[in-house]
Formats: sequence, C-alpha cells, structure tokens
Amino acid sequence: MNPYLFVAQKKYLLLLTLLVATINVRAQDSTMAYIKEGSYIPLYGNADKPPITVSSFYIDKYPVTNAQFLEFVKKHPEYSKSELKGIYAEKNYLYYWLGNYDYGSQKGNAPVTNVSWFAAKCYCECQGKRLPTMDEWEYIAMADEYSVDARTKEEFNKFILSWYEKPQTFLNQVGSTYKNKWGVFDMHGLVWEWTFDFNSIFLSGESRKDKDTDKLLFCGSGSVNASDLMDYAAFMRFAFRGSLKANFTTRNLGFRCAKNLSPGRLTVNSQAK
Amino acid sequence: MKTIYSGFLIILLTLQYAVAQSQEGPNKSQNFTDLSIYNLPSKWTNQNGNEIELKELKGKVLVMVMIYTSCKAACPRLVADMRNIEAQLPKDIKGKVKLILVSIDPATDTPKRLKEFSVVNKMEGDQWVFLQSTEENTREFAAVLAVNYKRISPMDFSHSNIISVFNADGELMHQQEGLNVNNEETVKYIIEEAYRIKP
Amino acid sequence: MKRILKTTTYVLAGAALTFGFLSFKDDPIKDYSKIPVVGQSVAELTAPPFVPKPVGNRAATKLIVNMEIKEQEGEMADGVKYTYWTFGGTVPGSFIRTRVGDEVEFHLKNHPDNKLPHNIDLHAVTGQGGGAASSLVAPGHEKTFSFKVINPGLYVYHCATAPVGMHIANGMYGLILVEPEGGLPPVDKEYYIMQGDFYTKGAYGEEGSQPFDMDKAIKEQPDYVVFNGKVGALTGANAITAKVGETVRLFVGNGGPNLVSSFHVIGEVFDKIYLEGGEKINENVQTTLIPAGGSAIAEFKVDVNGTFILVDHSIFRAFNKGALGMLKVEGPENKTIYSGVIKEETYNPESRNVEKVKDEKTAAPTKPASVKNTQTAPAKPAPAKTAKSAPAKPSAQNLRTESTPLKPAPHLQTQTASNLQAKIAAGKNVFSKTCFACHQSEGQGIPNAFPPLAKSDFLNNNPKKAINAVIHGLSGDLTVNGKKYNSVMTPQNLTDEEIANVLTYVYHSWGNSKKVITASMVKNERKNKPVSVASAH
Repeated sequence: MNPYLFVAQKKYLLLLTLLVATINVRAQDSTMAYIKEGSYIPLYGNADKPPITVSSFYIDKYPVTNAQFLEFVKKHPEYSKSELKGIYAEKNYLYYWLGNYDYGSQKGNAPVTNVSWFAAKCYCECQGKRLPTMDEWEYIAMADEYSVDARTKEEFNKFILSWYEKPQTFLNQVGSTYKNKWGVFDMHGLVWEWTFDFNSIFLSGESRKDKDTDKLLFCGSGSVNASDLMDYAAFMRFAFRGSLKANFTTRNLGFRCAKNLSPGRLTVNSQAK
Repeated sequence: MKTIYSGFLIILLTLQYAVAQSQEGPNKSQNFTDLSIYNLPSKWTNQNGNEIELKELKGKVLVMVMIYTSCKAACPRLVADMRNIEAQLPKDIKGKVKLILVSIDPATDTPKRLKEFSVVNKMEGDQWVFLQSTEENTREFAAVLAVNYKRISPMDFSHSNIISVFNADGELMHQQEGLNVNNEETVKYIIEEAYRIKP
Repeated sequence: MKRILKTTTYVLAGAALTFGFLSFKDDPIKDYSKIPVVGQSVAELTAPPFVPKPVGNRAATKLIVNMEIKEQEGEMADGVKYTYWTFGGTVPGSFIRTRVGDEVEFHLKNHPDNKLPHNIDLHAVTGQGGGAASSLVAPGHEKTFSFKVINPGLYVYHCATAPVGMHIANGMYGLILVEPEGGLPPVDKEYYIMQGDFYTKGAYGEEGSQPFDMDKAIKEQPDYVVFNGKVGALTGANAITAKVGETVRLFVGNGGPNLVSSFHVIGEVFDKIYLEGGEKINENVQTTLIPAGGSAIAEFKVDVNGTFILVDHSIFRAFNKGALGMLKVEGPENKTIYSGVIKEETYNPESRNVEKVKDEKTAAPTKPASVKNTQTAPAKPAPAKTAKSAPAKPSAQNLRTESTPLKPAPHLQTQTASNLQAKIAAGKNVFSKTCFACHQSEGQGIPNAFPPLAKSDFLNNNPKKAINAVIHGLSGDLTVNGKKYNSVMTPQNLTDEEIANVLTYVYHSWGNSKKVITASMVKNERKNKPVSVASAH
C-alpha cells in the first residue's frame, strides 16, 4: 500500500493511528512483560500426562503495591478496609493499614498484602486485567535471570528455599529481588501471590497420605503426583495454596495481575483442550 | 508532537478509566448481610434456560452442591445424597427449600444438558435448581463454598465433595464434606433454618 | 492303690487347670474411651526443660489446649542463626500434660506473620493423621479439633505438613503426656528433654544465618544433633538441677527427623525406664534406645553430688554435634558410692622402685571440673569450605537383572472360553469407570442407598431386568436380598457391547450365576419399555 496515494487528511489520520498504537505498546511495556507461549510439566497432578501449554499473555512486572492499592480503594470505597463485606475477606483484611485510606508507615512501593482473593481479583478486573492462572504463574516462576527454565539449577532452588527463612520480606519494596529472563521481578523472595485458580489444589491436612487421594473427600484422581518430588521449592508453594480459602488474607501474601494479548473475554489457560 | 502525544495519553487514560468504571463491583445499594452470598453479582442460567441472579433465591434455605453431569465417580452419589436429603424434609417446609446443583463444567453442561440430567435423575420438581455460568463465575462461586476443582482430562474433573446449607439470608450455615457421611446434621440445619423463615 | 491313682489324677488335673488359668493372667488392655469427663479447664503449657504440674488423682476433664505456631529466628549455637518453626515458640514445643480419658479441645493457631501452613499430628491421638487431617491451618488462622486420650503413655507430637521432613527438621515437635488413672508416682524433680537433628548449609559452628539444607537432610547427615533445639540448651547456666537423695524423672523424646537416639546419663544408672514411653518398666538400664518419633520416661535417684552428662551415646554426636546436656547435683559427697581419686602411682611391670607421682589429670569423665574444661563446648572448627556436593540423586545402578517378562503359554482353550475371558476383562474395565462409585468395587453396594450386585437375587432371577435397568435406568421401591431400596439409577450411556461385557463381568463375580450376556440380548431389550418397579407412593 502506498501512503502517498492518500489525501493529506488520511495520511494524518494514519500517522495518528500509528502513534496511538506506539503509545499503547509503550504503556503496556512500562508495567507489563510479554510472556511467550510455551509448555511445562507442573509439579502436581500431571505426572504421566503431556506437558501443559500456556498461551502468550502479559504479566505485571511487579506485585501490586500499597500505593497502587490505595488508589484502587479510593475509587472503590466498597473495597476499603472497613467497608469490604465479610463474604469477600476475613477480619485481617489490610490489617496493617491504619485506616481505610492510610497504609501508615509502610513503604508505598512495598507489596500490598493481607488482601483476599476476591479483592485481588476485583483490583485486576478494574484495571482491565485479571489474575494469572496457576499454570501461568508457575510458568513464569521457572525463570531465573538467565533462562526461562532454571528449575534444575541448584542455586535457583536454594534461593527460593532461603526465602522461607528470611523474616518480614513483605516490608521490602517491589523490585528488590532479581529480574528474571522474562523481565519480571519478585516471583520469588518477596511475597506469596494469589492465582486465579488457587483452589484447584488437592491437599488434605494429612500430607502423608496425599500420595493416595482420599476418594471420599475428592472426586476424581490424583491430588498429588509430583513430577519431581525433589522440587521442594515448588512443593511449598502448592502446600501454601492448598491451605488457603478465598477470603483468607495473610501478611506474606500479595498478588499481581495478568492480561490477555487480545482484549475480550478471559480465556483461562487451561490444560485440557 | 509532545502535545499530541500527551493528548492521546489523556484520551487513552480516560478510555481506560471508562472501562474500569464499567466493571462490576459488589453492589452497594443492596442490603444484604455481610456474609451473604447474595452479595455476589454473578449471573447464572438454570436448566430451563432462564437467566437468574443468586439474589433471586433470597428468602429460601439453599442446599448446594457442585458437580458435573459427565462425572461417573462421586457425582452420582452426591446426587443421591441430595435426593436423600430432600426426601427427609417435612412436607410443610418443602416450599421453603431450594436444592441447587451447580456445574463445574459449564462448557459441557449447557442448560439443555442440565435439563436432561434433571429428567433422568428424576429431579424435576420446583425445588430442584441446576445452574451454570461462565468459567470465572464458577471459579468465584467455588471459592465462596471452599470447593476446590481442577480439570484433569478433557472429560474429567477432580473436585471436593461438599454439600453446603445457606440460610434465608444467604449465609453459609453448615457444610457436609465427603461421601457416605451421615446427613442427619445437614437435614437438621435445613429444617431449623426453614422454620425460622417468617411466612 | 486305685484311690492313690484317683487322687493323683485329681491333683494333676487341678494343677493343669491352675496353670491353664495362670497363663491367661495377662491383663486385658483397659478401655478408657467411655470414661466420663467432669468440668473443663485450660491446659497449662510449659516451655522445655520444665513440665506442667502432675495431674494427681483428678477426674478426667475437658482440657483446652491453646497452641500457637511461630516461625522465628533463634540461635543454634553461638553466632549461628537459624529460622526455627515452633509449637509455642520453643524447640521442642510446649509440654502438654493430660490424664487418660481427658477430652482435649485443641486450638492450633498459626501466627499471621508466618509464611507457611502447618498442622499437628499427636501420636496420642486415635484418629486420622493423629489430628493432622483436621488441623491444617494457614497463616493468620486458627483450627480447632478435639480428641479423647485413651492410652496412657508419653507421646510425640509433630507437624505433618508437606514436606513433613522439613517441618520436623526445623523444630516442629514436642511431647504430650497421658498419665494413668491416679497419676504417675510422685517424684522430686521432673524435666522435659527432646533430641533433634538439624541440617544447615554451613558446617557445624559456621557463623551467620544458616539456611536449612535439604540435601543433607535426605542423606541423613546432620550438622547438629542437640537436646532442646540448640547447642548448650542444657549446659552451664542452663543445666537441670537436683539435690542428693532426690528422685529425678526425665521425659525424653526424640523428634528426629532422622536419627535414633541412644540416650544415656554418664555416671548414673536409670533405676526405671518406661520403655518407649509406654507402660512396661525395665529396671537398672544404662542406655535406652529412643526411636525417631518416640519417647521414654527415665527415673533415677541421685545418690552423689557432681555434674552428670546427658548424651546420645552415638558419641560423636555428643562431642562434635552438640548432643550433650548436664544435670548438676548439689549436696554432700558419698565416698562409699563414689570415692574420687584415691591415689595414682607409676606403673612399672618390672617392679623396681615405686615412685609416687602427683598428677592432677584424671580420666574419669564424671568430675565436673574436668568435663567442663575438655568436653562441653566442642572447639569450633574453622568454617570449612565445603565442596559442592554432587546432586543427591542416586544413579540407577546397573543392578537390575535383565529379566524378560514371562509370556503366558499359548492357550489351548476353546475360542468361546478365551472370548469369555476377554469379555470379562473388558466388562471389568467398564465397571470400574461407570458402576463402581455406587455399587462399589466388590459389588457390595451401599446400605440404604445403592443395592448390592454381589449374590444379588434381583440379578440372578431375571437377567432381562438387569439389562433393562442398565439401558433405561431403574427407580422406585426395589427389594434386593430382602432389603428395601428407593433410589434412582439413571440410564447408562453405553453401547450394546459394553453393556453385554459389564453384565457378564458382574454375573461372573461375587458369587453370581455366571450368566453370559451377549450384545444381541442387549439389542433386543432396547426395544422393550423400561421395567416398572411397583412404586409404593
């Protein structure tokens, strides 16, 4: 197509369109990272199944911060500390905040925590985004600084495990851990993060019998067939998710948002297609 | 150039804000109690193809279970459990109780299929409600009920076996977990809550 | 003569009977599950090495236990920091003291600042997971469950959240005592000691914050083996104490996660050991074996003064890894029982002249002074730069014998028979996918809900009805083997072939009539109406 055939006005319009597109990409780039489609074998429930395919999507480079969450509750007072309905969060919701619009002496750029799944989900939806699925989250979380799958590297696993022993990392600012191969920060070492389908884990309280699913409590097969039981780093994440309910809030649990490449209905990256 | 750039940025932001505004938050104008599931704004479709919101069920005692129709493992027994619970309800409260089966596989369980399922399972009375919605609404609803589920193959799901009882205000009163459990307590809760409803 | 014989016979018979009865003298285990409880109270919990007050002869009661889980940094040794996971803020966790028959209402609280979910498995609990199944609790939550203690003894409790080994290795264990009726016999001093093994990235004594090392834990090569969670928890100023003449009772546990303890007190003999924390008492024991996840109660009277060293007698652990504690006994010496050094002289087999030599050195390890100077604080080795250990995966050795699976010999059976076997196998497959949930794996069904298929009169009397039920479903009142059912079986979405196979499998299992159902029989039945079971409504 030859643009010189267009009348000036049209040329101008085209230029603008291009500009808008550029800006849009920039806006996207500044806060979100592009994650390219790929596949992986998750820790749980797929021991003898083909790997799961994760379609391309965008993810926030950083977990959501106190300051960002403050902006959100100002726009949506029904999600403020004292206003949120009990069905959406237990009593500890934002418990370290001093008031509905005051996160006290905490850093504004520290991750917001003590947020329930419902509040995290709504926050993302209000940004035109969504919570990442567990598969998406785990897929990104495999990466270290140099490769997209560092799960077999001893140092990488040691780093993840060492976080369990570092006190009060939730006070640190976002971006204080490493930037991974995708350009995403803080996947490990800052806070736990909610995923959209966190409640697809099957762990009973009695972990020693989880290798043998309790047929009476859960229909279907396979709560736990870890593909690599040595992968303790991931094991702990799954154990943590397995202990949560959607209205729970804990001081070490924050979240970040994801977004589809094309707007429209959320298509959940689901493994069984 | 700079002005154009920032001008567009403003337009963009406005657009984004508009999108944000159109998102549905919990509806504040409603007067539901703090723990009521009627706070959930999600829309559902029943076995007759009618759209309903949960809050339309307000004033009834709800007995809920999440299943999917192609399930051959636990669901037939959960369904039997529900039927068994219903059979134990005294005649005078039958009109005050809704027994609700929510699909965790909305893609397969179309309203038509739910209808067929209700027919072959002989659950055609007004007290039986079968619901399906979007995947997100289903996941959210499961989150409220503390039901975990996961697709484990194209046809099958793994899911918690939980039957829940909600009072007339939509508050969770009781959960019965597992198969082969004695449902005496569940029935007791339903009857108690039903008698509390003022005519 | 006859009379003597008769008498002898009687005597013999009587003796035999007596012996017979005597051999039954073993007391039956008492059932404490029915003991009623009186009132309720909140359990006193203590940090080690102390224990709560004895129960004495109080009645069984409802006992409320409030246990808080904390993940917190502590000191494993001087300058060595370690993040412990604890029950009640200590390692071992708070001591729980109950009596048999108590109903314990257990509140497990996971501190909001904790990162991980936890639960508790109490070995004293009779029930799924020892309580673990009911107590998985996320940070910032509290779980409540209750249990009745029905076996007296000293029991370990520990966290059982995956990965279990790691939760235990970080210090999540403790003891719960269930006293017998009337309580344990009174003693002068009671203490709480629990051994555990710890695995750190750095070697023993390496300073700084030490993370947990999973590799070492799997290889069972701990850097630290300690009593009460750290090196020196029971030495120096922290030693446990007694006075000469007192009777001491030690509640000793072993949290593991891996090692078995050979518990020994240097310079004392245990007068009594409640073996493995149970009811049997052994007397005059030098060293008692305490398994990982097990316990023992040790009692002894202290007759002489001095400092007595508690060790795991796998002795490198005591002197190089920290498994060492002290009991300081004050009071007068008792030269008869233990004299100390009387004299020392030069020893020369070729006795020339004997020359006395004064030398203070003694080899007896029981004198506090000498012990203190030599063996309490193992010298810190210089931080060793450990070479990267090879990955812990054991390589599959070429030990597998190359066996070729045995092929069944070609069958010489008739075709129908082999067909039948195949049919039954295929039918079993259908059954396990479609029918087992309601009718159960052995066709036993579920009482009052789903009728049995095993030895079923309904099936065996009328195969047509059986076929019809699978095709069209079946509902309403139904009597099978004399029991009434009123349920709904839905029409099953199966092919003629599948229905034929699955019914053939059912007829050839669990004592049924061995009928063979063919696909054409099923096809014929499809034309017929659903069987109506006369409904009672």
